[in-house]
Amino acid sequence: MNDAQTLAVVVTAIEQITPLIKHFKMAAADGGALPAFSGGSHIIVVMRGGSRIHRNPYSLLSSPHHLDTYEIGVRRMEESRGGSHFMHDQVRVGTPLEIAHPVNLFPLDKIARKHVLIAGGIGITPFLAQLEDLHDAAVPYELHYSVRSPEHAAFLSRLRAREGERVHMYYDSESQAVDFDGLLSAQPLGTHVYVCGPAGLINRVTAAAREWGWPDSHIHWEQFAAPPVGEAFEVFLARSKLTVHVPPDQSLMESIEGAGVEVPYLCRGGVCGFCQTRVLESGGELLHNDHYLSEAERAKGNCIMPCVSRARGSKLVLDL
Amino acid sequence: MLVTGIKSKPVYAPLRADTGGRYHLMLASGPGAAALLRVLEELRGAAPQAAGNTRVMLAPDNAQVALPFERLAAGGVSVFDGVHALLGAFRTALDESFMGTRLYVAGPESFIGLAMKIALEFDLNKDEIRAEELGTLARRVHCVHCRHASEEVRTNIVKCAGCGQWLLVRDHYSRRLAAYMGVMADAEVPGDLPPVKEVFL
Repeated sequence: MNDAQTLAVVVTAIEQITPLIKHFKMAAADGGALPAFSGGSHIIVVMRGGSRIHRNPYSLLSSPHHLDTYEIGVRRMEESRGGSHFMHDQVRVGTPLEIAHPVNLFPLDKIARKHVLIAGGIGITPFLAQLEDLHDAAVPYELHYSVRSPEHAAFLSRLRAREGERVHMYYDSESQAVDFDGLLSAQPLGTHVYVCGPAGLINRVTAAAREWGWPDSHIHWEQFAAPPVGEAFEVFLARSKLTVHVPPDQSLMESIEGAGVEVPYLCRGGVCGFCQTRVLESGGELLHNDHYLSEAERAKGNCIMPCVSRARGSKLVLDL
Repeated sequence: MLVTGIKSKPVYAPLRADTGGRYHLMLASGPGAAALLRVLEELRGAAPQAAGNTRVMLAPDNAQVALPFERLAAGGVSVFDGVHALLGAFRTALDESFMGTRLYVAGPESFIGLAMKIALEFDLNKDEIRAEELGTLARRVHCVHCRHASEEVRTNIVKCAGCGQWLLVRDHYSRRLAAYMGVMADAEVPGDLPPVKEVFL
């Protein structure tokens, strides 16, 4: 994916639904149908405001059956590098935006016999679209949704209305927590568990599932890593013969794009592996922040995911 | 017509205990029991608590075979009179089993295939199933013309009991059908058949 392939959309509605989350609706700028997608897909929103361009991934939460509108939920991040603040503060009804085509890195397993969905906070968004598919299917499912407190329970009335008793709520403010052992120790064969939310939640669910003997093929999770802030460093792009400076608050990918070199991407969150780039030379340390490369691949030191990862030290040379 | 060297032909490996599993379900037909005994010993050594979560289902050549299992599998040992009785009970066992179960199957390939076919209906993935082939290589053969499945096929060419065509038995295997594909052997020149040989012994 690169910017030449983006879709032009216009924001048609904005609602502040919790103290931290805004709900955006958008339609194609030409009024036509938007591309079809499946539950769990995300889009990249390209934000051209101020001095730099942000490209952030957001899960589509609208129904895959309604392609006149895409809906996303954006949580305002305290430690924002600018993207979520741009969406919250700059975008109005009528604002034109560019988005990348939907990509699904978090699909439901098509032959599962049961689905257990576990959401934390803004992690509810991909499940809202998946539930549209599950609702009419014969396969049993249940949703476990934890939030800080009732006022932070985004989309709860929509969930309650459609899903009723299949929604299990947990409020941190009332010291309620999912009993992962109870939930994962006695599920029927062919159950798949899906988790989306903060890293702590994902780690607890995957650890409990493995503890109870679930194979990895039945455990699904998604978390888009925001590119972390780090020390500035320099990178040399061997094919382009360019030296690029990467400032502390810009990702390697953003800096390379800023120099006019395109890096193919799908998620920009360290998940998909699409932007994997060969490291030709590295005099320092590669700081891998992705969820994609295995330990063995990291140990080789010959590739990096520029969307979220950085480097320290001198002489990073990339095959770009 | 490619007969051998086909990727779908299943590959088996000696059973090893999977201590990542929480529950263990073990099936054997005929000579497969020996492999289960070996893996059960290994499991008990590596994860002593797993024995209580282990269930064994046997269709043995003789009842004596079941005796050493009683000591090892606290989760229970069931002995069946034949493969079909075992597979019926296996389906019920899967229906009652939980995520975290590992399936071990040992015996002739046709038995493994039928067990796998049922396991597939329960969405067990390959990381939840292991199988060791022991015993006859006789094949289940699915006639691609009339869809009849011939059992216990030992020859490279077999007359389909469903439609009467002479079928060439290929290595092309269907997990869903638990059978090798049989295709008309004399389609080019009717009556022109290669020599019939016993090859799946």
